[in-house]
Amino acid sequence: MSEPSPSWSGSPASGDEAPLAHDRPVDPRTVAVWRWAALIGAIPFAGAAGVFTISMLIAGSPLGDILWIAYPVLLAALAAGAWWYPAARYRRLRYRLDPIGITITDGILWRTQSSLAQVRIQHTDISQGPLQRRYGVATLKLYTAGSRFTKIELPGLEYGEAVKLRDRLLEAGDGDAV
Amino acid sequence: MPSDERTAPAGADGFEPTLKLHPISWVFVAVNHFKQFVFALIAAIIVGSNRGDAGLWWSLWILIPLVAAAIWHQWVFRYGFSERGLVIHEGLFFRNVRTVDYERIENVDTQRSVLHRLFGVAEVRVETSSGGKPEALIRVLSLADVAAMRERIFERRGTASVAAPIDHAAQSEAESEVLLELPPSELVRYGLIDNRGLIIVAAVFGFLAQSGYFDNLQERGPPTWLSRVPWDSLAELRAVGPVVLGLLVFALLIGFTRVLSVIVALATLYGFQLTRAGEDLRTRFGLLTRVSLTLRRRRVQAAHQTATLLHRLFKRVSLRVDLAGGAGPGGGVESPGQTTQRELWLAPLCAPEDAERLIRAALPQVQLDGLEWRSLAPRARRRIFRLLSTMWIVVSAVPAFAVLGNWAALVVLAPLPLFFVHATLYVRHTGWALHDEFFALRRGWLTRKLSVTPRNRIQSVRLTESPFDRRQRMASIEVDNAGAAAVSHRLKLRYLPKDDAERLADALYRSPAGAEPLGA
Repeated sequence: MSEPSPSWSGSPASGDEAPLAHDRPVDPRTVAVWRWAALIGAIPFAGAAGVFTISMLIAGSPLGDILWIAYPVLLAALAAGAWWYPAARYRRLRYRLDPIGITITDGILWRTQSSLAQVRIQHTDISQGPLQRRYGVATLKLYTAGSRFTKIELPGLEYGEAVKLRDRLLEAGDGDAV
Repeated sequence: MPSDERTAPAGADGFEPTLKLHPISWVFVAVNHFKQFVFALIAAIIVGSNRGDAGLWWSLWILIPLVAAAIWHQWVFRYGFSERGLVIHEGLFFRNVRTVDYERIENVDTQRSVLHRLFGVAEVRVETSSGGKPEALIRVLSLADVAAMRERIFERRGTASVAAPIDHAAQSEAESEVLLELPPSELVRYGLIDNRGLIIVAAVFGFLAQSGYFDNLQERGPPTWLSRVPWDSLAELRAVGPVVLGLLVFALLIGFTRVLSVIVALATLYGFQLTRAGEDLRTRFGLLTRVSLTLRRRRVQAAHQTATLLHRLFKRVSLRVDLAGGAGPGGGVESPGQTTQRELWLAPLCAPEDAERLIRAALPQVQLDGLEWRSLAPRARRRIFRLLSTMWIVVSAVPAFAVLGNWAALVVLAPLPLFFVHATLYVRHTGWALHDEFFALRRGWLTRKLSVTPRNRIQSVRLTESPFDRRQRMASIEVDNAGAAAVSHRLKLRYLPKDDAERLADALYRSPAGAEPLGA
């Protein structure tokens, strides 16, 4: 496998300058937001499973006996998932700012790394749900003129940090360079 | 981008458009309105005729308001050329004045059906880069008016535009050069390669099923022509009989759909011509409906070359391009971010030797010779083989053993060598190359696809690692530009070595730093 190496650089900014960029985590308070969100999201599911279990018990079906044991296990699993997943995602979620743009790493099983040059940003959103507002975190949404990844999201930033990051990303690219 | 010019208060400079549509316009407007009902109407006639429904004819009254609306439309429609842009006045009760800046206008495309050509008129679509629907649809103008409009728009842009210095060449219609012409013999080849006939057969079948043709098949009994088939002589062949019959029907079906494909190809692509007009490319094609399209070079996001097995048999390839916004001439309901399904041909068919020349006409920076192609990860072949084998065994094992018993092992294991061959060939024909100016990738062995996208068109880069990727230290990479909305136009490559993928992602991400605006 001795292949000639391709021209990695060739662009105006080659990788040599090694910007002082480093991976940064988002605000740890976002873990709490995600945990609440996961718990709230689990309620309908747990409720439906509960109704099913009770109705099976009332109907005297043999399935009821199994479900009677399985239901608490399910609840425990949901709770554990709601507790573990946000923390694990928080540990994986990183963003890196460099002179060219921003790179966001996300995902636990399927890991993605999205890189977006600053000049490609069309417009931005900073959005906050009620839970996020309660904890003072925000989601930064970056829009490109692309066709598949038109929106790249960075959740869990402290609100002031999100504003600063947005201003930093918008200062050079004025959206002209599509 | 949101086009403010759409609703900009017109006549801000006191300009009142005065030019009118062609006097016959109302016919085309009415026909177009009518088209929206025509399928319902045909269906009603076919279904209704079985039942003798007199109420059907009442539905024809709908034509009267249609025609009235069309005449009114023609009556109030005005267009004109102001200092800033093309101004269009229209509206029935709600008046609407639209100004489209000259420098924003990307295309002035025309489409002409048989009816248009009978009257010497054309339907004009004025497009900006906002994608999706055309900014202005003018139905219809005489050919002389279209030429005048093109001239006015591109001439104004030449003088008025400071922001887009690249454009000024576009005005010079005169310096056009024919890059490719497809004679009928090529179109026959295209028809044989392309399988549009099958789609028509499917559509007709679907229509017959919908209209209830198959409903009372049992009562009607076998059609008379079936009795003329020499069943007796077929029966003498015993077991071979059904096989022969099956093959015969299959061959007939293949032959029939191919003939249909050729007819469709001749009708839709007749007289295909690719020309260079200044900085832009223009395609013209169609026998009944004559389409003229402008492919503005600075909107080209990527070029794709496709070669199926049949393409290679005929020693041909197909070339198409993606435009920013993906606006084609096709009508239909479109929302932003969604592209029309119509292909933007650079060449429906051309010899492989011509491919690079034509790609370069759209993307001058492309240089396919001497590219350093890089391959997938060394273990990619094993992964593809394992993935296919596992999936096949999981799906087939249980039903096979249930039905066949001991013979099942044969069925379950037989395709494995095939999967191995596929994996080997796939890996051999898949790879990527990074040039200073563009990124190229090729995929597949049965259908071979080569895509090139200029690095300064890249919007964002995404690197993905699945759990399986992580175990094998691989990653997939996907590049996004402004024209890759269609699934088949995705620029994605899987099974790269992780190091390569990371360096590639980084290099591509750095590409647009000093990029010229792509003008989308």
